[in-house]
Amino acid sequence: MSKYREDQAHRAYDDSPDRFRAHHPDDAFDGASGVLFEQAMAQTRMAICLCDPHQPDAPIVFANRAFRALSGYEEAEIVGRNCRFMQGPGTDRAAVRRIRAALEQEEVIVVELLNYRKDGSTFWNALHLGPIYDAEGRLLYFFGSQWDVSDVRVARAEERHARELARELSHRMKNMFAVIGGIVNFTGRTRGIEAEAREINERIQALGRAYETTLDEASSGFIEVGQAIRSVLAPYDPQGTRIHFEGNGLRSDFSAVSVLGLSLHELAANAVKHGALSRQTGQVTVRWARNGAPGAPTIVINWIEQGGPPVDLQHLLLESRDPGIVDRMLAMARGNIMREWRKDGLWATLRLPLREDVA
Amino acid sequence: MLDDEPLILLDLEFAVEDAGCIPLTALALDEALTIVRDEAIAAAILDVSLGKGQTCEPVARELAARGVPYVLHTGDLDRMDEGVRRLGGLLVPKPTPAAVVVARALEGVRPDPNFA
Repeated sequence: MSKYREDQAHRAYDDSPDRFRAHHPDDAFDGASGVLFEQAMAQTRMAICLCDPHQPDAPIVFANRAFRALSGYEEAEIVGRNCRFMQGPGTDRAAVRRIRAALEQEEVIVVELLNYRKDGSTFWNALHLGPIYDAEGRLLYFFGSQWDVSDVRVARAEERHARELARELSHRMKNMFAVIGGIVNFTGRTRGIEAEAREINERIQALGRAYETTLDEASSGFIEVGQAIRSVLAPYDPQGTRIHFEGNGLRSDFSAVSVLGLSLHELAANAVKHGALSRQTGQVTVRWARNGAPGAPTIVINWIEQGGPPVDLQHLLLESRDPGIVDRMLAMARGNIMREWRKDGLWATLRLPLREDVA
Repeated sequence: MLDDEPLILLDLEFAVEDAGCIPLTALALDEALTIVRDEAIAAAILDVSLGKGQTCEPVARELAARGVPYVLHTGDLDRMDEGVRRLGGLLVPKPTPAAVVVARALEGVRPDPNFA
């Protein structure tokens, strides 16, 4: 950290309030509590100074140790000068104008501005200043407290940069998926295999939706399972009335996204063709939860279709259509699917290892 | 085949079957190391970056020690770990059609003398 904060002078009684009092006998606290106040002001890690607006050019009349440490100047180099000696060529003039206006209006403001230490190095100063009045309401001093927020600003800039990158990445990825979809479609068209091309494209777009939601948390390396599920299934329920989501804020790493997304897409596509979503009254409930033995957590997803056509027919149609791609995908991800055909629809249970441990 | 993405593994698995070989798949380092130690493998396809900062390096080193040829199947050639690069597997950038990846992996395989 900053070398300006490492001095051990705080172990000693700070006599800067004594010098201040010597010159401003009327403005000191009285008695023992006065000494405590003065020492608190002198010792706080918040850099503090007082300026006298009644003297020409409003010079600093008191600066505590933290102020000296932050600025790098000795007390004698600070007292008697206007605060602007901390400014430099990189200091934003608009911020300085705001300070001047606040002083004129006797207002309290907080301004972040670039300040310069004695050695020429800079820091971002969150300057908080305002007037101090006496018991009769007459302006006595202006106080200024300074806080080095350079680290905070760097962190904010990095966060903004990361957000911009994530947005750009998201944009490019959506674009890429759209282009891939286009290629698949027109290839299918020119080859006379439009139905196959559509099926491929639907899978690709489902994958795209599953990944889209992961970008917000790209830096964390984890996805919100519920978010991925919702966005994969969104196109199958444009009104938001047929598919019901029940789940908590389960998180998993990226590797679960593709298989999870594509498996649910296959179940939904089947439901639209042959199952609950093929009828106006049909409903699907998707429920997800964390389960499994300690040390071997799993994501368990229940897929519950209700209000669909009689099941026997469904079963046959399901069997004939693309047998086992969901099973194969889940098996490759070290998971599985169990299907149970009830009277009014398919009940499926999907299991996937949950890799939530942070390396 | 080692890859942390199951769908890529699935695609490679089909391609290996099509090439007339027996596929063994691993989603994570520990699975891959078990396969390398327990099975007589002819060639390997390794995804380099396995998530959470892990790379296929331990597996590549085991394979190199056994003289098993392998390809490094990676989407991130530029950022590829120096340690992995030094091991000197054949680089195959992602995306490459699975059949081609498998063909590259089999290039280094010497014919089995029993079938020669």
